[in-house]
Amino acid sequence: MAATAAGKKVFEVFVSKVPWTVATKEVKEYFRQFGQVKKCLLPFDKETGFHRGFCWIGFTTEEGLQNALQKDPHIIEGARLQVQKNRKPFSGRKSNKEAEDI
Amino acid sequence: MAALLRSARLLKCSPAALSTLPCVSCRQYGVVPEQRGLVKDEPSVAVRSKQAQQFDWALAKLDSSVRRTGRVTKTLLLRIFHDICRTGYPSGNQALLLLRSCGSLLPEVPLAERIELSQQIWDKLQELGTTYDVSHYNALLKTYLQNEFRFSPTDFLTKMESANVQPNRVTYQRLIAAYCEVGDIEGASTILGFMKSKDLPITEAVFNSLVTGHARAGDMDSAEGILSVMKGAGIEPGPDTYLSLLNVYAEKGDIAKIKQTLETVENADILLMDRDLMQVVFSLTKASHQQHVPEIVEHMRHERGYVPDAMNLCLSLITHGHEETAFSVLKSFTGLLVESQTSDSPDLGNFFLRHCANMDKPVENIVGFCKDLKDSGLHSSPLQFTLQCALEAKKTGMAVELMRSMKEEGLPLRPHYFCPLFTHYQKDKNIPGTLQALRAMQELGVASDVDTFSIYILPSFPSVDSARTSLKEAGIDVDGNILIAAELRTEASRGNLAGLFSLMSSPALPNIDLSAFRASLISGFRGLFAGLQYFCCSGPTEAPFVYLYDSINVFIESRKCQIGSSLLFAENVAYFLYNLIDSLNETEVHSKEEQIREYFGLLKNMNISISLNIFRGIRNILESYQVPELVKSPFKTIRQYLCIHKLERALELKTQYETDMTPAAYATLINLCCRHDNAEEALKLKMELARKDSDAALDAQKYVALVRVLSKHGKLEEAIDMLKEMKEKDVQLRDSTIGLLTLTMNTAAMKGDANTIRRLQETIFTLGLAKPSSNLCSPLIACYLESENYAGAFDATVEVQKQYNQMPKIHDLICGLVEKGDAELLQKVMEFLSQERGEMMMLYDLYFAFLQTGRYKEARKIIETPGLRARPTRLQWFAEKCIAAQQMEPLENMVDMTVKLFECDRDDMYHYLLRLCKETNDWQKAEATWMKMQEENLAPRERTLRLLADILKNNDKEVPFEVPEVKEPIRSDSMGMVLSPAPYDTLIKTLLASGNIEDAMAVKNIATDHIPGFSLSDNANNLLIISQVKRCQMKDAMGTLKGMLQADQVPTQLAITRLVQGLASEGNSQDIQEAEALVKTLGSIKLSSMLFVNNTALAHIKKYDIDSAVELLESFYIQNTENQKSSISFVFRKVLDANNDAVLDKLSAMAERLCNHFASYRAATDLFLIYLDTGRTEEAKFLLQVPSLTNQDIHTVYTCFLMRGYFSQRSVRTLTHFSTWRPLQHYYFMRPDMCRMKYCMFSPSLSTGLDKDFSSAKALYERMQAEGVKADELTLKRLALLYKEAGETVPFEEPPESFRFYADKLNKQRSESMEPANN
Repeated sequence: MAATAAGKKVFEVFVSKVPWTVATKEVKEYFRQFGQVKKCLLPFDKETGFHRGFCWIGFTTEEGLQNALQKDPHIIEGARLQVQKNRKPFSGRKSNKEAEDI
Repeated sequence: MAALLRSARLLKCSPAALSTLPCVSCRQYGVVPEQRGLVKDEPSVAVRSKQAQQFDWALAKLDSSVRRTGRVTKTLLLRIFHDICRTGYPSGNQALLLLRSCGSLLPEVPLAERIELSQQIWDKLQELGTTYDVSHYNALLKTYLQNEFRFSPTDFLTKMESANVQPNRVTYQRLIAAYCEVGDIEGASTILGFMKSKDLPITEAVFNSLVTGHARAGDMDSAEGILSVMKGAGIEPGPDTYLSLLNVYAEKGDIAKIKQTLETVENADILLMDRDLMQVVFSLTKASHQQHVPEIVEHMRHERGYVPDAMNLCLSLITHGHEETAFSVLKSFTGLLVESQTSDSPDLGNFFLRHCANMDKPVENIVGFCKDLKDSGLHSSPLQFTLQCALEAKKTGMAVELMRSMKEEGLPLRPHYFCPLFTHYQKDKNIPGTLQALRAMQELGVASDVDTFSIYILPSFPSVDSARTSLKEAGIDVDGNILIAAELRTEASRGNLAGLFSLMSSPALPNIDLSAFRASLISGFRGLFAGLQYFCCSGPTEAPFVYLYDSINVFIESRKCQIGSSLLFAENVAYFLYNLIDSLNETEVHSKEEQIREYFGLLKNMNISISLNIFRGIRNILESYQVPELVKSPFKTIRQYLCIHKLERALELKTQYETDMTPAAYATLINLCCRHDNAEEALKLKMELARKDSDAALDAQKYVALVRVLSKHGKLEEAIDMLKEMKEKDVQLRDSTIGLLTLTMNTAAMKGDANTIRRLQETIFTLGLAKPSSNLCSPLIACYLESENYAGAFDATVEVQKQYNQMPKIHDLICGLVEKGDAELLQKVMEFLSQERGEMMMLYDLYFAFLQTGRYKEARKIIETPGLRARPTRLQWFAEKCIAAQQMEPLENMVDMTVKLFECDRDDMYHYLLRLCKETNDWQKAEATWMKMQEENLAPRERTLRLLADILKNNDKEVPFEVPEVKEPIRSDSMGMVLSPAPYDTLIKTLLASGNIEDAMAVKNIATDHIPGFSLSDNANNLLIISQVKRCQMKDAMGTLKGMLQADQVPTQLAITRLVQGLASEGNSQDIQEAEALVKTLGSIKLSSMLFVNNTALAHIKKYDIDSAVELLESFYIQNTENQKSSISFVFRKVLDANNDAVLDKLSAMAERLCNHFASYRAATDLFLIYLDTGRTEEAKFLLQVPSLTNQDIHTVYTCFLMRGYFSQRSVRTLTHFSTWRPLQHYYFMRPDMCRMKYCMFSPSLSTGLDKDFSSAKALYERMQAEGVKADELTLKRLALLYKEAGETVPFEEPPESFRFYADKLNKQRSESMEPANN
């Protein structure tokens, strides 16, 4: 395996209560204030056309992650987001089966 | 389930609607389809059992909806309807449940649609074979009324008749209501005539309808006059009467009258709920008098359940086209909602906006509401929310309009807002729709992006090219790059790696960010991966593994794509491994152990780590296959854990042996002393034991027995020492032993010895022998209550609560205070309760006390306290209490009073009532209960219907509905469930209890098939014996007994008795002997010593071998004088019952012989008593005339008689009659030591027959005086009362203590002097 250890290390937060009005672009933009965002996974439900209200944000640095976790409250368009350290690396997988990363 | 059935929630219809409804014609009626004679195949047991579960599920689902919101959504109702249909055999009460949900529980559904729905459900269920009974027709009527459906009542009755269903009171009431709705008094009178001719009671509900009827006919005077008519008929107008009146005033817009009526109601101490006032609001609005709504809203008390009710009012108003009024109502209660809002961004009124969107209200109105909500700070983003609703409902037009408003407001519009619309069109490949949405997008200036295109737009078109053309034709501009990127993604997500490769190699490919299709690529891989996994399952070889590894690597290398695949890879491998191992069975794992080990090795070499979760999963599988060695090789083991477990178990075993070392003999001896109430000896032995072996400890039960005896005999300090010793020696108390402690303290309580109780309590709790419990704390309170010292009881309650946080006997205390009328102390108790357990609990306590003491008016006041909600556990507590004590009145009152109690489960309530009806076998009450349930529009649970049917059947009454079958878990095996032995055993017991041996045995066979070594429990076997005896299967019963004894089970006394009696009735004396021998080996069962003798004798008699019987009995009495105590009256009774004179002669001769030759009087006594008991006075006299019977013998006879406590009135009468006859007077009444005997003869006459007859009592007393019979205190006490009541001076000194005191004293004397009862 070429890409292990250092390269794959992502500092993820799990964000829930994302209002339906914002999409990946807005969420990503919001979290950019804490550090460089490498990944933003906001699953959409293909059946309904709405996203599922939660997403994963991956920072490139530990610092970005810590900054995001220290901030409280996180408000986006008047709605309060719930941000927590991503503890379950697998939690996104199942829902991904029906969802798409945008 | 109450909420579901709350009939008061209904909104009545108004006449204003009449003119607007298209179906006013009375000719139009609900088409009630005719019953079809079609007989479906009987549903299988499995289906029925499933059905029962489903009903519970559906009911729970609907109920939770009603409970939370006071309504049911159409979606939920339809879902349950379809689910029920799918089973194919909808049951009667499922049908009822559905029908009852089709009325005002659907405030969001327009009336016409509700009617359609109920008709649809009615027809469909009938088609599926549901049998409708009167409750269904009544429920249908209710939906007609609630949905303002106009139909012809006479046609309805005809339909019922043709279906052979008898209308009942509730049916007629509702038909009257239907006539009254349209102001047809004549029609109503016709039905009223029917009711009268059938002698049905005219209830308040009828009068209430008439109020509406007269008013709708335009005759307000008559409407108002109904109230006095009611009073004339002895019915007080209730809240519903006034509500009818208020509604008709509202329809006229007569606010002055409304106010006046509200005042009258208040003065009459009648409570109108908020829900009632909401109906008035509804009536006002529908009649276009909405300007008065605010005045009614002001009257609301905001009780529990107000908010959901008000929300439903809003929804109904919106549905009926009055959204402006609805909005004003909404604004009137937002204040209540604000409190519950915790979020920084308020979103009040969501339900309102959503319903407006669903009902297609004009966008400008909605936008107005949004603006208002936003400006008043109630909602932070009302437009966005409404847009979301419109999108969810796929209302493109409304959504676009809303977005336009948003744009005007300066709110951002984003491409993904259109996704729900595209999804909708994509599903049915609706190209015009897609294009329309795209055009709107363009108009609103929203640019589409790759995502939208690839996921939502392109799939609607057959190909990328056709999409390109269509868009162009429709005049929609799209960035070409976006299209190509979208195409790339589609290929990738299909897993078409080759296609992707060619697309990417094309020179036309623009510079595309990898991130745009990375995810698709991953999902493409995943598909590939799944295939590999499937491949693997056919057997573990190295090939797929290596292939996977290679292919991914190769792909990554060749494309030079850093797609974060390493992460993906590790995770997938772990899953892969788990699935691989999971797919192997045990043998495969064992045989492939080596290969799997190699895999693990390979993984290690590849430096792949597996997450802990998955590792655990793998480990569990391997361990369950008993190859933990395999786990060990690459991972850590849990061997250490196992070692630790063993050590603990070893320790356990050790302690067990330690207790066995105690001098058991001492312990047994001490226990024996305790049983014989010998405190001295017990204490002595205990001290001896302590001297010999200071470490020796008794078991908990023996210690407690010792404590009990010591404290009972005033050796309190010693008792406390024992408790301390228990603590020192770490004796553990079990529940049963703790029960004994309670008993110990109760003994002290009966003596009024509070000090002893306190000391014991304190010691027990401080030592931590037992945790403070209500039971353990109750004796202290009981001690005070016993002597009616309520102040003391209250102080003790406070003390116990403060110290141990327990509040026992509080109900008894409050009841006592209420009865005594001690308002001051009661107030104190209430304050204390309120402070300790909260106001709600306090109110319940008070409520129950009022109910218990029959103060129903006060009880009603309490339960109507605003804000009070149902506490099921408390209601259950009281109901159980009533059922146990068979108190119908308080229970019935509780059920009646809780109709409007918030969240009260009505089915539970009626179930309690029916349980009590069952206890008292009161079918009339049960039937009346069923009527009430229909009136309340309740869908009962199956258990309730079964109970009701049971009561009716037991009384040979017709059951007017389909009885749901008992759930039978037998077939659970067909559903693939594995049951533990316990449910089988329970089921077998249930079947046996209902006498169904065949089914019980079938279940036993199933259980034996499924559970190796299954055997019936003691109880089940005992029941089996009894059932077999009942069926006269004596051989089987003997077999069961033998089997039990072999399995070391203990048969009950009852089972053995029935068995032996059964054998006797078959004349099988041999088997009786065998049974006797078998049972003797047990030793521990307390059986009547005469069981075997008597029944052997009867067995001989049955076989006409009377000589053997006589021989047996004779030798029994002759051989052992001790046997004098044993009675053979059972034999006599059986012979007498069989009218077997020949045998009786021989037995009677035997009795005489025993008297004459052997001075054994027992047989004669028994015979004499039987004669007396069965009213054969002549035979009894004859027996007494036996020449050899001396006075002494007769004395013996009488003594036996009296000692056995025969106090039935008939025997007493006969006996007192005898007492004036023959030598008795001479001998008997002259002897002073016989006074008590004589008294015994008189006492029952005094207490039973002559209580109310002073002159007779007086005469009797005088005679007793004359004959020198000394009456005891209880008799004197009674006599004194009679004298006082008659206004005469008591000629003797009245005993000072209470009745109860002397009654107890007498009972004690009696039980001490009485020999143990035999047989």
